[in-house]
Amino acid sequence: MRNKLFSLCFVIIMIFSLSLTGCGSNNNNNAASATDKPAATTDTEGTGGNASATTEPAAASGTDISGKITFLTNRTDMIGKEYDEYVKRFNEKYPNIKVEFEASQTDYNQQAKVRMASGELPDVMFVPSIPNSDLPKYFASLDDLGLNDKITFKDFKSYEGKLYGITTGNSTSGIVYNKKAFADAGITEVPKTWDEFLAACEKLKAKGIVPLASNFKDKWPLNDWVFAVPRIIENKADFPNDKLNTDTPFTMDNGYGKSFSLLRELNEKGYLEKDINSTNWEQSKKDIAAGKFAMYFLGNWVINQVVGAGTTSDNVGFFPLPYDNSGKLTAPLSPDFFYAVAKDSKNVDAAKAFVKWMIEESGYEDFAGFISPLKGKESKLPQLKEFQATGVTLQEGTPDDPKVTEITNKAQLDIPAMLQEFVLAKDPQTVFDKWNKAWAKAKKDLGY
Amino acid sequence: MLGTLSYSKQKTIIIVSFLLIPLLLLATFTYYPALKLIYYSFTNWDGYSPEKPWVGLDNYREVFSNPDIFKVFIHNFAYFVMGIVQNVVAIYFAVVLNSKLRGRNGFRIMLFLPYIMNGVAVAFMFGYVFDTTNGSLNLFLDSIGLHHLAQTSWLGTEGLVNYSLASTGFWRFMGYNMVIYIASLQAIPRDIYEAAKIDGAGSFQTLWRVTLPNMKAVIQLNLFLTVTGALEVFDLPFVLTKGGPAGASQTYVQRVVETAFAYNNYGLASAMSIILLFFVVIVLLVQQLVLNRGGDK
Repeated sequence: MRNKLFSLCFVIIMIFSLSLTGCGSNNNNNAASATDKPAATTDTEGTGGNASATTEPAAASGTDISGKITFLTNRTDMIGKEYDEYVKRFNEKYPNIKVEFEASQTDYNQQAKVRMASGELPDVMFVPSIPNSDLPKYFASLDDLGLNDKITFKDFKSYEGKLYGITTGNSTSGIVYNKKAFADAGITEVPKTWDEFLAACEKLKAKGIVPLASNFKDKWPLNDWVFAVPRIIENKADFPNDKLNTDTPFTMDNGYGKSFSLLRELNEKGYLEKDINSTNWEQSKKDIAAGKFAMYFLGNWVINQVVGAGTTSDNVGFFPLPYDNSGKLTAPLSPDFFYAVAKDSKNVDAAKAFVKWMIEESGYEDFAGFISPLKGKESKLPQLKEFQATGVTLQEGTPDDPKVTEITNKAQLDIPAMLQEFVLAKDPQTVFDKWNKAWAKAKKDLGY
Repeated sequence: MLGTLSYSKQKTIIIVSFLLIPLLLLATFTYYPALKLIYYSFTNWDGYSPEKPWVGLDNYREVFSNPDIFKVFIHNFAYFVMGIVQNVVAIYFAVVLNSKLRGRNGFRIMLFLPYIMNGVAVAFMFGYVFDTTNGSLNLFLDSIGLHHLAQTSWLGTEGLVNYSLASTGFWRFMGYNMVIYIASLQAIPRDIYEAAKIDGAGSFQTLWRVTLPNMKAVIQLNLFLTVTGALEVFDLPFVLTKGGPAGASQTYVQRVVETAFAYNNYGLASAMSIILLFFVVIVLLVQQLVLNRGGDK
């Protein structure tokens, strides 16, 4: 009896393991056939007709390209909604390409890097924060899309003259404000100098409106104070990379010190949230929409989100931050994520066709509130028109020098976190001294 | 087909075949990554590139030469203090809810429920509780007349933030400790209590001389969980404060995560993790030594 039981157990185990391995091999077969097929079809078409079809996907007509591609996106909110509509329009042009969307986790960058380490990249994705010299290891060159002369930030994700990433959209940053709140406080004209800006804040504060929602606690909303304002104050696009040549990159009288002092001044005068260590991003959007908070200093992408939080588009205005009293306005132009096509993708051509379509025809930039990645294409957003009407100069940024990034990482320097320290510290100079020391040490250790 | 094997051989086969899968899973998801971690701690891998340059003990040297890294353990102290309070309260509730109390199962469930909830969800929820201007805690304090206290920035005051965060942990894990204590209380033989009663012991004497000594092993276990929990806390400050204000609530594990994912230094982060592992072991040894001074029961 017992023996029978044992043999029964064994038989069951055998059956299970067999069926499991069976499943495995089945899967493999499926995967293999699914990936083989499109390659085969493109091959036959290639030999039958145009041999250069594979190198010039843009020139080929839509039906020639087929295959299934996956796009790892950070806009999880668009999956099943706008993306479905995009795919429909995309398939009118490219009926044989099947596009699937994969929702990223909250930290796109981190997730993308994990996938890079495992070699399982989606066909279309955004470039995570890696040095440009690593781009050719993972991504396919996009020079054959024929977009090289038309796009902005062409050199940003290029390496040795080859283009690996194209911006999904550009943004500028400035003051996004609730027009009704401004009117209620008696502000008739948008401030053009820092003193006018402070006066406007005072009026808002007197009305019981929080002048500027900094979202200080969440740290990322401070990024523009750190990455954009210093370089426009210095009027030098490459200013962040100047750090490479000094042991004291942070001083009170350079771009960093001046920019950080602006935020510190706003906090000292009580123009930010009542408790800047307890802010709530989602709530702040509703409060701006409702006029309880008056302004954000953020990228133009936030405009649509404020409108979505419960106000009308004509109640939201946008003007450049007047960082000094000269009356001359400069604002940064910065790229958002960059599209890239995985080098090892099974359907590189299909993926490239999709990227090109997203840039030229999807209308994603208007939906997301970006300035078009294509040079000179006018925005449909009224706020961006208002912004441009102030006569502002837009300063294109430059890519980070990998050496600067390396030193920053080595010194464990998180500049937005340093700005938080700077604003909260009793003596801001001590914060700069501490990080200058860390910077100098890291720079020396790395031998730069 | 097994009939010809001896009984002991059959036993071995059965034991092996049943243990194989769990051990395989354990090896794949615990020991293999742990070994990899040790290996990475000797490299300066950036987290994604195929090359993993060997640097020997450099990472360990860097950790020990940077006093900033160990300073964050001061923040963990708050969690330790709260953990002790948590255990005392858990024992109290365990004793109360182990007596014949009407509706005790209902109370047990209520106290245990927070433990089941997802840690990040709890943290997110407490974000609304601790909010300075619109938070429910400050609104409550204001409504009972404590207007001054209602202005407190629970997550924005340097000395307070860690205790605010730790109290969330208290709310969440107290029930879990309590359930373990209840189980151990029920394992104490009734006749000891009877004997104590006959000898004329009061309820406090019973608790001090009978209940607590019998629970010693379980108290040790719970303290172990508390201490490791305090050393490894991560999710609460990560979600609620991001280590702020100005790094006042940054914990060691959070620093490790930042080192790996924000500064692309997996090698150093791995070394920091290994050091934390040794730290936990040392703290446990000290705890064993202190608690076992009186001999083994």
